[in-house]
Amino acid sequence: MIEVVLNDRLGKKVRVKCNEDDTIGDLKKLVASQTGTRPDKIRIQKWYIINKDHITLKDYEIHDGMGLELYYN
Amino acid sequence: MANRTDPAAKSIRGTNPQNLVEKIVRSKIYQNTYWKEQCFGLTAETLVDKAMELDHIGGTYGGNRKPTPFLCLVMKMLQIQPEKDIVVEFIKNDDYKYVRVMGAFYLRLTGIDSDIYRYLEPLYNDYRKVRRKSPDGNFILTHVDVVIDELLTTDYSCDIAIPRIKKRWTLESLGALDARKSVLEDDFEEEEEKDENEQDGLEEEAAHEKDYYRGRSPVRDRERDYRRDSHRHRDRDYDRDRDYDRERGRGRDRDRDREREGRERDRRDRDHGRRRIRSRSRDRKRHAHSSMSPRRHEAEDGNPPEESKKKKGKKEKKDDGTDHPDPEIAEANRIRASLGLKPLKL
Repeated sequence: MIEVVLNDRLGKKVRVKCNEDDTIGDLKKLVASQTGTRPDKIRIQKWYIINKDHITLKDYEIHDGMGLELYYN
Repeated sequence: MANRTDPAAKSIRGTNPQNLVEKIVRSKIYQNTYWKEQCFGLTAETLVDKAMELDHIGGTYGGNRKPTPFLCLVMKMLQIQPEKDIVVEFIKNDDYKYVRVMGAFYLRLTGIDSDIYRYLEPLYNDYRKVRRKSPDGNFILTHVDVVIDELLTTDYSCDIAIPRIKKRWTLESLGALDARKSVLEDDFEEEEEKDENEQDGLEEEAAHEKDYYRGRSPVRDRERDYRRDSHRHRDRDYDRDRDYDRERGRGRDRDRDREREGRERDRRDRDHGRRRIRSRSRDRKRHAHSSMSPRRHEAEDGNPPEESKKKKGKKEKKDDGTDHPDPEIAEANRIRASLGLKPLKL
């Protein structure tokens, strides 16, 4: 179980607990349930790399405590 | 400037009609090359030509949310605000199904409630195939009536939040609309009659049959049934009901529910009610409802009810980990379960 931090630099900072083998799509659903936006409106980025929905966190090498950028579509 | 709304246009729902589309999606449309090249200076007539060239519907797709031409043209319609006659012409035309869908979409966004029901419901009979672009960029097959159903029952389609309208039975009780009559109604009445004659005589049925043979039911009966089942038409699980019915070989019978005899079918279905409830709960999980009930957890675990009762004494025997001693983790697992994800691995 890892915990990632998502920050949209406009005031929303969310800590989400998830598994390493969750996909980005699942992470978006979890974030959506916490922030209240729709999951398909959320975009998770790491410095211009837009993370795709079907790839797992492990494959993106996202570790415990790592910070991701939260943007909106 | 090309992006300004026509100054003569009315405001829709109290705001600039272009504001029906959200800011981010709107910006994406304005930056899009199709919008800049093809949609510049379009009038109602030239818009029709562009609409005839459409070959798919959809919202935004891809990593950077590119809008589809369909969405750009809908935006153009919002900008120039064609007359209602023109929009109705779009809907009535039979040859170009994408023009029809576009007209229906625009009417759904801007029309008044009774108009929406009046013009969109005949489109339920149109079952032609339609290509739809999904958000990840692939094409999906759907049908015109599925799209219309989505417009009338959900509140979000093609990346636009659809305005709320009054429920159909509200308008019926106000007298603004007639009760819904499907084209397939006569066929279903014949079939129901056949089914009914084959049934064993139960007491209720005897009473129903008496009413039936006495002549057509009073409108009140039908209204009562419709009101009772109206939530089914608007329920999010309605699609599930329809698939379930289709499986059982009942075809496109959404109006069957309206008939009095539909009650008998429900009684027949009562044995399968459990399965029905389960599939509905699974569907609800997909829609991220987070209500809890022991039965739902059993459906998810796949354990028969007796086994999990025996194991109730021991902690963490539940597969979804919602009874973990740490309340934070239990809460996280509860949310994951409601979204359909596996529990956290600790």
